[in-house]
Amino acid sequence: MDPRTFLKGLHPLEIKVLLRYAPGDGLDAARLASELGYVEGHANQAQAWLSAKGLAAETGRSSRNVYELTALGREWLEAGSPEERMVAWLAQHGPAAMPTICQAVGIEQKDAGSAYGRLSKEGVLAMGQDKLVSLVDASKSLRAAALKALLAKAAAAGGILDEGTLGDAERALMAEVAKKRGAADAAFKVAERETVTWALTADAAAVSALLREEGVSGDELGAVTQELLESGSWKGAAFRSYNIKSRPARLIPGRRNPYVQFLESVKDKLVSLGFEEFDGGLVETEFWNGDALFMPQFHSARDIHDVYYVSEPTKAKAIEEPYLSRVATTHENGGATGSRGWRYGFDREFTKRLVLRSQGTVLSARQLPTASVPGKYFGIARCFRYDKVDATHLSDFYQTEGIVLGEDVSLRTLLGFLEMFAIEVAGAKEVKYVPGYFPFTEPSVEVHIKHPVLGWFELGGAGIFRPEVTEPLGVSVPVLAWGIGIDRMALMALGLNDLRELFSYDIEDVRLRRAKL
Amino acid sequence: MPKIEVNEKLFFSLVGRRMDPAELEPALETAKAELDAWDLAGPADERIIKIELNDTNRPDLWSTAGLARQLRIRLGGGIPEYPFFSREGDQRPADYRVVVDQSIRELRPYMAAFVVSGKAIDDAMLRDAIQTQEKLCSNFGRKRRSVSMGMYRIELITWPVAYKGVDPDAVSFVPLQSDESMTLRRIAAEHPKGKEYGHIIAGSPVYPILMGADGGVLSMAPIINSADIGAVQVGDRDLLVEFTGTDMAAVCLSASIVACDFSDAGYEIRPVRVDYGFDTPFGRSVTFPYYFQQPASVDSGRVSRLLGDSFGPEQVVEALARMGVRAESHGQHVRATVPEYRDDFIHAVDLVEDVMIGRGLASFAPERPRDFTIGRLSPIESFTRRAKDVMVGLGYQEMIYNYLGSGRDYIERMNVPADDVIRISNPMTENFEYVRPSILPGLLQSEAVSSKAPYPHRIFEAGKVAFLDDARNYGTATRQRIGLLCAHQAADYNELAGVVSALLYYLGEEYSVDDSDDPRFLPGRQARILIGGEPVGLFGEVHPAVLENWGITMPCAACELDLESLL
Repeated sequence: MDPRTFLKGLHPLEIKVLLRYAPGDGLDAARLASELGYVEGHANQAQAWLSAKGLAAETGRSSRNVYELTALGREWLEAGSPEERMVAWLAQHGPAAMPTICQAVGIEQKDAGSAYGRLSKEGVLAMGQDKLVSLVDASKSLRAAALKALLAKAAAAGGILDEGTLGDAERALMAEVAKKRGAADAAFKVAERETVTWALTADAAAVSALLREEGVSGDELGAVTQELLESGSWKGAAFRSYNIKSRPARLIPGRRNPYVQFLESVKDKLVSLGFEEFDGGLVETEFWNGDALFMPQFHSARDIHDVYYVSEPTKAKAIEEPYLSRVATTHENGGATGSRGWRYGFDREFTKRLVLRSQGTVLSARQLPTASVPGKYFGIARCFRYDKVDATHLSDFYQTEGIVLGEDVSLRTLLGFLEMFAIEVAGAKEVKYVPGYFPFTEPSVEVHIKHPVLGWFELGGAGIFRPEVTEPLGVSVPVLAWGIGIDRMALMALGLNDLRELFSYDIEDVRLRRAKL
Repeated sequence: MPKIEVNEKLFFSLVGRRMDPAELEPALETAKAELDAWDLAGPADERIIKIELNDTNRPDLWSTAGLARQLRIRLGGGIPEYPFFSREGDQRPADYRVVVDQSIRELRPYMAAFVVSGKAIDDAMLRDAIQTQEKLCSNFGRKRRSVSMGMYRIELITWPVAYKGVDPDAVSFVPLQSDESMTLRRIAAEHPKGKEYGHIIAGSPVYPILMGADGGVLSMAPIINSADIGAVQVGDRDLLVEFTGTDMAAVCLSASIVACDFSDAGYEIRPVRVDYGFDTPFGRSVTFPYYFQQPASVDSGRVSRLLGDSFGPEQVVEALARMGVRAESHGQHVRATVPEYRDDFIHAVDLVEDVMIGRGLASFAPERPRDFTIGRLSPIESFTRRAKDVMVGLGYQEMIYNYLGSGRDYIERMNVPADDVIRISNPMTENFEYVRPSILPGLLQSEAVSSKAPYPHRIFEAGKVAFLDDARNYGTATRQRIGLLCAHQAADYNELAGVVSALLYYLGEEYSVDDSDDPRFLPGRQARILIGGEPVGLFGEVHPAVLENWGITMPCAACELDLESLL
């Protein structure tokens, strides 16, 4: 392996080890602590990182006991062990009965019992015929003195004594006063510690050599700090190289929604083709949603199973005149449009009924009374349908619709627009038109396109608004009306295959989504 | 849009030649039809082609014979002759008679009928007739309300047949799909077809019945046939076909369509005279099939203008002939005789479309528009995009949500009253029963489902909301709003106050804040945003009670701002 590959990725903690030791030198945390001044955590990091690179390997592992000073142990160190307290009290107060001593020095009967046992054995205390305990020779209390020394030693070592630092006598005493479990009533708690010994591998030698050759010391500067810049202390110093291959931290940026961006890109395309955007309310009347589009009030698409009704209020207060009267007459007998009409009695109450807009063409119709000639208008309108929601149906969704008004627009102009949409908006290579049917246009056509990825599909429907639609709304020139379906292209751009995902609530999902616009 | 199944063998024998799918598909365009499915496995006699018909004004295309006819004509098969039609002042002699009684006048006055004769009905034709009955009566006949159809075995009928209204409790017969004799009232209430269509006659003091001179019941129109006279089977010869309904033209056209279909399939059509006890649009005594259509006309100049290509009157006549429409020109004026089976020429533009299809849509070259117009986004769209750009700069992720939701999410979980929320009276499920009155429920739903997404969460949506507003004509208002939410350990009022301040600064708005007591936010940690003294939005720390309703355990602060008020 080329030692150079390691060079950039080494941390100062590793570098100093590599520079100081040779392969095979026995290393452990204690050695690194004493020789390199590493705290235990740094020593472990150096070992772990070097091992991950194959520059170090574990050579052995041993366990040993350590003894932690308990709360009781600390109390004994400060206030004395039961033995000490008994001896001290008796020296001051003279012989006394056990219960009296216990109460006076604040130790429990059983602890006092075992303490007395040990002291009498040493010849420090004795009990007379009168059951009174008396002090015989305080200087013989060697165990209590040894215990006190051990507690002090532990406190001085930060509360932990390593097995290896104890002499034989200390070990024997420790065995008596330390417990593994239930250490609350013992002076020390016994714990097991593992010592890992390791060494640099043979590969490390080349890396070490390279470090020396490059003059890397491990003392190079880390972050560029304001202090460094102000003091100028960076001058003449070397900066540590960073591992540029390490995985960057994840950022969570502010971001647009790719589906909305897709919709906006379509809007921008249409604007570039000279179309002006229109908009409208979500709640409509049957009048604009169907009647103004010359759909007879008995038309099957106006059934309760196709349109959502507003429950309260159920009706608009009024429908705009003169449009209402003109549309009503047109339905009944064609009015002044040259049509024979649908030949039924137009219901002027039904027409006021409030529905959720079910087709974007509503907005086209609404635009007609104020539209300019020539004029081009479009809208991407949220529409509502009585549909079971699944991968290909939503209860609310966008429709893209528009109109073109002009003295001379014709079927051929319409085909020209559809061709522009196919190429500019959908990126199609081939376009095909077939006769279509829509209640509000005549003639009507469907446009099918060959998409580079999706293959042939129906891009949309279009036609010339029937005079029964335009004339009652005050328009006497032909009006091209078109609608294009952009959802399939949106799904493709977003790499999705379920319409429901366009309106995802999942934050992470939306964050990670990328669109090919 | 109706979908029909046609027997492959019958269909192609009527078209005049076989086709493969690659030929059939473009041929169907003439009829605005699409090939839906064609399983080429299985025995040739039984193979079925499924076809979808797009034109709801052309019920004549919703049958095997009708669709085949349009294709045959377009392929050069000539315009078919139907000499059995009676016309005004020219009634054909009829061997059969139906008498329509005064008693049915209020309920379902119109009736048309003819007899199919000449050869035994085969399986394919019977299936097709039943399909035609279903498609005609459900789509064109508005689920049998304006037109229904029945077929009967002539050998069991005693003439003349009476069509009349009778006491629903006084007449009984054995209906199809039943073993026992039932009164008309029981049939309407209990028979499966009665349950489906009984509402059409419900409430009337009399129910409709077709009855032979001997009292034998043919059917209870528009509900169900009798189990004997009305049980037509393969092999039957001489059938009576009748139509009843509320719209004379629709009833008459339906009879014409079915008569032409049987005629095309080689059956003989024999007229039936219907004598009414009252006036009808076509007279008191009408012999069916009856040609009632008025001529349609269009100027060739109008054709040229609408289609964008120059058409002389002769070219219009020629194109119409290819669609089966006979026409003649008088100067620029073209006068068309509407085919017996059609009644869809409502306006001159309807003829223009037939000219377009007759000429062939592919012959019209797309033309680049010549009119110059300036394109522009709506003011609210442009303004919304500015607001969104600021939000992105502030580290917020844009979301987009559905506009329909449940009362649970929009009302209950938000701890708000339902007072101004728009409810749908015919929801499909309670999950889509309300129009969203605010963007906040969507944002909270996002937070509720995204606790595993790395924090902090900062999201926004700009879009429409709608709510009840009695002052308006529609009793509702639609507004463009922006809603934002931040969720993380330290999300609080102050963070949002900073965001609102930055957003409004870059939108060029001077604002002030005022106390607010919205139940969705913590008291004392929420503010109304005022511009020019008018409230335009609010923000604050989302109330823990609301968070609990959503199952959210991360602190949230949120804001909703009415963009339209800033425009």
